[in-house]
Amino acid sequence: MAAAGATGGTPPADGVPYAVELRGITKRFPGVVANRDIELRVRRGEVHAIVGENGAGKSTLMKTLYGMHRPDEGTILLDGRETTLRSPADAIAAGIGMVHQHFMLADNFTVLENIVLGSEPTRGGRLDRAEARRRIRDISERYALNLDPDVLVEDLGVGDRQRVEIAKVLYRGATTLILDEPTAVLVPQEVDELFGNLGELKREGLTVIFISHKLDEVRKVADSITVIRRGTTVGTADPKTTTARQLAELMVGSELPSPETRTSTVREAAVVQLTGLTVPSAVGRPAVDDVALTVREGEVVGIAGVEGNGQAELVEAIMGLRPLASGTVTFAGQDITGWSTRARREAGLGFIPEDRHRQGMLLEAPLWENRILGHQTRPPAVKGPFIDRRSARKDTERIMREYDVRAPGPDTLAHALSGGNQQKLIIGREMSAAPKLLIAAHPTRGVDVGAQSSIWELLKDARAEGMGILLISADLDELIGLSDTLHVMLRGRLVATLDPSSLTPDELGGHMTGAHDGSVGAA
Amino acid sequence: MTALRRIGTSLAAPALAVVVALVITTLVILAIGQNPMTALQVLLDFGDTPAQQTQAIVVILNRAVPLFLAGLAVSVAFRMGLFNIGVEGQYRMATVVAAGVGAAVVLPAPLHILLIMVVAMAVGAIWAGIVAVLKVTRGVSEVISSIMLNFIALGTASWLLTGPLRGSEEGAAIITTTDIPESGRFPALNGLFDAIGLAQPRGQLFGFLIVAVVVGIVISVLLKRTRFGFDLRATGLSPSAATASGIDARAMVVKTMLISGAVAGLIGLPDLLGRTYHFGTEFTAGLGFLGIAVALLGRNSPLGIAFAALLFAFLDRAAVPLQFADIPASVVTIIQGTIVLSVVIANEIARQVSRRRAEHGTGQASAPAPDDGATGTGPAGTRIDARQEAGA
Repeated sequence: MAAAGATGGTPPADGVPYAVELRGITKRFPGVVANRDIELRVRRGEVHAIVGENGAGKSTLMKTLYGMHRPDEGTILLDGRETTLRSPADAIAAGIGMVHQHFMLADNFTVLENIVLGSEPTRGGRLDRAEARRRIRDISERYALNLDPDVLVEDLGVGDRQRVEIAKVLYRGATTLILDEPTAVLVPQEVDELFGNLGELKREGLTVIFISHKLDEVRKVADSITVIRRGTTVGTADPKTTTARQLAELMVGSELPSPETRTSTVREAAVVQLTGLTVPSAVGRPAVDDVALTVREGEVVGIAGVEGNGQAELVEAIMGLRPLASGTVTFAGQDITGWSTRARREAGLGFIPEDRHRQGMLLEAPLWENRILGHQTRPPAVKGPFIDRRSARKDTERIMREYDVRAPGPDTLAHALSGGNQQKLIIGREMSAAPKLLIAAHPTRGVDVGAQSSIWELLKDARAEGMGILLISADLDELIGLSDTLHVMLRGRLVATLDPSSLTPDELGGHMTGAHDGSVGAA
Repeated sequence: MTALRRIGTSLAAPALAVVVALVITTLVILAIGQNPMTALQVLLDFGDTPAQQTQAIVVILNRAVPLFLAGLAVSVAFRMGLFNIGVEGQYRMATVVAAGVGAAVVLPAPLHILLIMVVAMAVGAIWAGIVAVLKVTRGVSEVISSIMLNFIALGTASWLLTGPLRGSEEGAAIITTTDIPESGRFPALNGLFDAIGLAQPRGQLFGFLIVAVVVGIVISVLLKRTRFGFDLRATGLSPSAATASGIDARAMVVKTMLISGAVAGLIGLPDLLGRTYHFGTEFTAGLGFLGIAVALLGRNSPLGIAFAALLFAFLDRAAVPLQFADIPASVVTIIQGTIVLSVVIANEIARQVSRRRAEHGTGQASAPAPDDGATGTGPAGTRIDARQEAGA
């Protein structure tokens, strides 16, 4: 704590101005202060990590630095000069480049075309491919990016695409690179490659601002760390002398609620049984490959895995939203493999989708209509072929009361609610139908700590009442704490079944990456 | 209170759009060297005698009925996010076939009319159904296929008119189908004027007005109060959420297009059963396309469409009197066009304003929200490390 607490107010020893210095940056949105008194000092030629929890204000800060909006207070100094950034174009001109977490590449263009897109070298009004190729090869060699300018982007893997994004920024002459959660989409080997590239950039004198919430990675790659909590910088740390625990404490600020459940409520009867479930994907190997799985009454079965390993497809297959290549789904003793989504829901399948905006809500509809969604064929929402508005409104009010959904009333539009309140409404809605099986995909994603613990309580209560729950999550504590049985999903297959009562998160993390490695945490 | 405010904001955009359109039209009239006040006078001048005034009302209502039905047909599809550009073709096909069938049979009056209506709705639905089937089985965009089907419908209708359904004499200047006998004609509503003590107009008020009102109410109830309507609107608001809620998107496309087409089939009937009694080369054209504008102006709600249809009809009535005042009738078209454009823009602005207000109004979790879904692994990483250190 001592090491982390020593805020980095000292100027660089050599007297060279900071590459990036932010003083007292405050950014307000109506009703919320996203950033408050941000202090950030980044030396030229270092990898500087900014860590903080989801929603701590990292993205807002980076948008400020990339000119996507202007701060309400505070100053930005680049190489010691006060600078006003009105747009990303200003930022690019000032040598700041942004590598977004979600790649912004045109798949059907070549690497070269993607890199030059927007700042094409021309000769006589035509794209000067030779010049572009020369410059890209030059960048690729200098920073060991290993790019072939003439390959189509659609043929590239995730790691390569990220290097294309980096090259794109370098091509525009950036000397300070902002990488927003660059490792979120990478597998471990690719992460190592990326860190190698960052080393090259650093050696060439470029500055890297690295945003992350993965403390291990941060400590591996960063030269210095700034921690953000609740919109403000709470300290800087030296990765060499700070332990991950100290960083975590700085980031979270307090003890988090525990999702743990104690006594087992698992009963004999199986609610859902999957056998040989295989879901094809557009290319190559199946998205879900020969999965067998049973969820019993009163049991929480957790699925752990790095995102994109087939969890989403598995969920959609059980919900009947995705065609199967083979396999069967047995629900409460009936083969429901060929059933429609509606029939499945009517039979007692509840669904908390991973992306609530895409699959869980009608954002431009009032809450009471969202109460009906997914339950169009059951009371209290309907009477015969008609919508029962009064009952739907009344039941929405009940859900708002019982599940602590904070909103003015059932006629409020869904997009006026915060993420946590939207999620509680969805959970309340699904619970109200008393499903036999609840598929909960990332039930606490993007909700605040208070809502998180109340969602955990709800799931625990439901489990105690005999509901079967299939829990998909990326929060390892949530998985270990709530699950009675834990499966690990990797490349579409269930590769391990673990006992959560004797499992540590780093063991689980090892299983998830496929290369079990228990020594990661040794500091 | 909230309901009042919502109605207020939903009226503000179209009202503003009408004002903007009037300003632009004023400028246009000034630009061609005429007096905008004259044009305004013509628009508002319904005549001197009571009979003339009621006649003006009849003209407006008679024009508004098909416009309303056309707007309704378009809006049903719109509400589900489908662009039925093919209403034009659907009502032409429906009208020519209904005219042919109506002329070929003799039945007791109510049955005869009912038969003609059913035939028209069926033909419209089938024509729209082709679009739906192409979309769900082959993924053809409904915009493309319905535009193409418009051309096919126009050609087919001409062929039916000149060939199998031809009723007019060989060599006649205007080719028409045979007239529908008396039993198939929809009685006029002129008794209404006596009942409320107004002067009898020259022309006849379409009895089909009643059918249009009923259809409007049915569609309104269907959309707002029924499960089917909920499914339809949910699909329009978010296809992915609708599918996840158990709505069969493909079946919804087919059902919605069939309804849209069936309503489209009625568009030609007010004229057919109330005035011309035959389909011919001079039968009112372009109603399907006007329907798109009316639906936009009415913001896809049946009541709004009724107002929009009346406004368009009110403007259309002035087309002939304007020419008497030496102002080109196309002024009316300019007003209509600018109104629709302004409404589209105003609606979009209103939507963005309300959305932004909602997003920023509720404080927490709205601003850091971009972090939410995007960052993926959540706080897991953090806590792994915390635990690791604890163990180390």
